[in-house]
Order: sequence, then structure tokens, then C-alpha cells
Amino acid sequence: MNSPGPAGPADRAESDRRLDAARAAPPAGGDPLARLLAAAAAPATGDELAGEERALAAFRAARAAPAVTERAPAPRPRRRLRIAAALSGLAATAVAGVAFAAVRLDHGPEPVVPPTSTTAGTGPTGTGPSRPAPSGPAGEASGAAASPTPPSPTPPSSAGPPPGGHPAPPPVDGKLAGQCRAYLAKPEGQRAKALTKPGFADLVAAAGGADRVESYCRGTAPSAAAPTPPEPKSKKSSADEDRRPGPDDEDDD
Amino acid sequence: MTAELNEAVAAAQAGDEEAFRSLYRGLQPALLRYLTSLVGADAEDVASETWLQISRDLPSFTGGEFRAWAVTIARNRAMDHLRRQRRRPVVPVPVQALNDLAADADTADRAGEAIGTESALALIRTLPPAEAEAVMLRAVVGLDAETAGRVLGRRAGAVRTAAHRGLRRLAAMLERAAEGAPQNAPGAVGEGDRGAVRQRPRTDRPAPHAPEAEPAEG
Repeated sequence: MNSPGPAGPADRAESDRRLDAARAAPPAGGDPLARLLAAAAAPATGDELAGEERALAAFRAARAAPAVTERAPAPRPRRRLRIAAALSGLAATAVAGVAFAAVRLDHGPEPVVPPTSTTAGTGPTGTGPSRPAPSGPAGEASGAAASPTPPSPTPPSSAGPPPGGHPAPPPVDGKLAGQCRAYLAKPEGQRAKALTKPGFADLVAAAGGADRVESYCRGTAPSAAAPTPPEPKSKKSSADEDRRPGPDDEDDD
Repeated sequence: MTAELNEAVAAAQAGDEEAFRSLYRGLQPALLRYLTSLVGADAEDVASETWLQISRDLPSFTGGEFRAWAVTIARNRAMDHLRRQRRRPVVPVPVQALNDLAADADTADRAGEAIGTESALALIRTLPPAEAEAVMLRAVVGLDAETAGRVLGRRAGAVRTAAHRGLRRLAAMLERAAEGAPQNAPGAVGEGDRGAVRQRPRTDRPAPHAPEAEPAEG
């Protein structure tokens, strides 16, 4: 191939052709410029894809799948707990007529209800919205189980909501939650750096590595958390969740 | 290819991890190379930020060209990064790269190897920023001039012109290198394969070897 002039492509059209050709088949010994462009557009070299797992972790976290299931006490935001509490309260009233007493209970100082607390406990270990949660029936069961309790234990007013709400393991211990907030409040560019500081050491340890802190802090809300929601519901709530991080994190443009 | 890409995007939006992985593999090399042309050695970091945001915003991606959308995110992240740094990276002229690429066609098979790619990118980085960016978006990311223009907020014609000038400049550099000039370039650190000459920031003329060969410059 002759180069058209002393210094490369003669006009913009010629340049266009060459630029378009860069990603096509490698030239068989074309001129230096063609080789340069082909080399610049050559297929990936191994280390260019080194960030793949990190990107996937971000993807998982963003899907709100609980990427942290290995960690036993899956921390959850309070909002979610409240929804769970409300839902299980509803289920209780629906299934058992007796339970009207339970509806007005907003706090339960003592975890009185063993059967429900176990179902609530299994909720968070679900692996994701895709899994057909066993929680649908479990929710009703918990409602049924909850209903006999109000009469028996101490003040009837302490039985209802606790199943969904309080007996669950405490979200993150306060310090880690605070560190998460601090971490997420940082501009993205500074996060990785921040994690190298001693102040975040606990958080890094709890998350299982600096690269998992993001998903640990962000993906902490297992969408299967609520004991009751059937499939469509849990889908909806995970969609909510996708949106929710927005305002908190000040960095969407 | 576009249909395939759209399928993968839709699947990833529905939560398919493997689809997301294929998006990553298809785009990351170009993205990283493009980012390197913008922010130099920090490209990896900026690329991670980019993927983070892509993951997060994917549900709100409403169609159109995925590559352009992703590249726009990358560019915004890079601009944020540069604003924080308050400077563009200094670009060394890669003498050895120039020699490699300018060598005769019998060494052409080298062009496909990793070193060829690095050399090529290193040379493109020595172009003035607007030209380098146009060449990267067109040749490496594979956007057409219209789409690249949307990413850059410029008209397609401006992108074409910038890319064309960039190519001519590159051709001129290569030509001079082939004539044996670069080894004697003033201040060249010639030996060693990463041999490089420090150059003033790249708003200047691209390289000491190719200053006057620019008939198209207007």
C-alpha cells in the first residue's frame, strides 16, 4: 500500500476509512500507520481484564443481591426491618383473628416468640431475588404461629411486631454502620484510598477485604429479608433498592 | 454484533451476571486504553469507578448505544479525576515504541503483540488531547464520528477533523522514525526498551520529531 502523501491520509474521508479499519482484521503488513492503528485496537491483553471480578462484585452489589451471605449476621437497614415488621404484623392479623391486639404494638422489648423469630432468621440467608423464597408460606406460618402467643405471655401488647422486627440479629454493630456511612459518603475516587487508613481497618476486616467493602456496605439488604413477600413483591422491593442508594450517595451524574 | 450487544445489555439489566461479564470483557480493554489516554497511570482506578457506576446505573439505561453510554460515563469520571488532580499527566515520547512501529513490514507481526499495542497507544497519547481523544474513540473504542461527537459534545465534523489531524501527525512521526531520525533526537534516552524522552505537557506540539509535517493544520 502506498501512503497517499508525505504524511498519512490525504483527507478526512481517507482518515475515516483507516479509523474504521483499525478494529477490523489486522493488516497483512500494511503501512506503519495501519499497523499502529490495528495494534492500538488489538484484542485484550491479559491484565487489561484484571478488574473483572471487582466489576462483577459491583454489579452484584448493585443488584442488591446479598453478596455477603457467608457472613452470618447479614446486616440490614432499618427501613427494611420496619417493612418486614409491618408485613408480618399484617399476616398475623389476617390469619388469626385474635391478633388485633398485636397491631398496635410498636416495640417489643423482649423477643417472646420463638417460632416466628426462627423464620425471620432464615429470611436473610436467601441468596437473592431470583430464588423463589421459601418465605411466602413461611410468612403465613409465622402469622399462624404468632397468633396463639398474644394471650399467653405477659403483656398481650408485646407479641405482635417483634417477630419481624427485633429478634433479628442487630444490623451491623454501630461502629461498622458508622464506618459504612462514612465510607459511602466519600467520593468514589477517594474510597479505595480511605480504606487503607487505620480508621477503616475494622470495616475492611468485617467485609473480608478492601474490595468487598463496597458490596458489604451497599448490598447489605438481602431482598429476601422480609419474611412474607411472595415473588413479585420481592422483585419490586429490590427495584426500590436499586433506586434507594441514589440520594444517599451524592455521586450520580 | 449490535444485536448481540443489545441482548447482553438487556440480560444484564435483568440481572444476568454472565451477560454483564461479557459486556465487561467486550468493553473494558477499549475503555481502559481510552482512559489511559486521558488520565495516564490512574486509568485502572478510573475504570473501576466507571464500572461501579455502570453497574449502578444500568437499570436506568434506556437503550441507544451502550458503548457510547459507557464511554460517556468513563469520560465523566476521567474529567472528575483530572479536576481533582488539576493537571493532565505528562506524556513521555516513547522512543522505542516509535522505532518498533516505524520499522519495516518484516517486523509487522510484532504489531499484534502486547508490546505493539502499548507502543501504539503510547504514541497516540503524545498527540494533542483533542486529537488523541478523537483517534481513540474512533479507532479503539470503535464509535463512528457522530457518536464520538455526542460523547465529546462536539460536532461530528469536528471529530473527523481532529482524528484526521491526529492520523497525519502519527504518520509523520512514523515516517521520520523510519528515516532513522529519532535515535538522534535531541535529548533522546534512546537505549532500553522503555526509553523515553520527557516532554512538556501535551498541549504543545506532539513530538520533537514531527513538528512541521502538518499541512492539514489550520
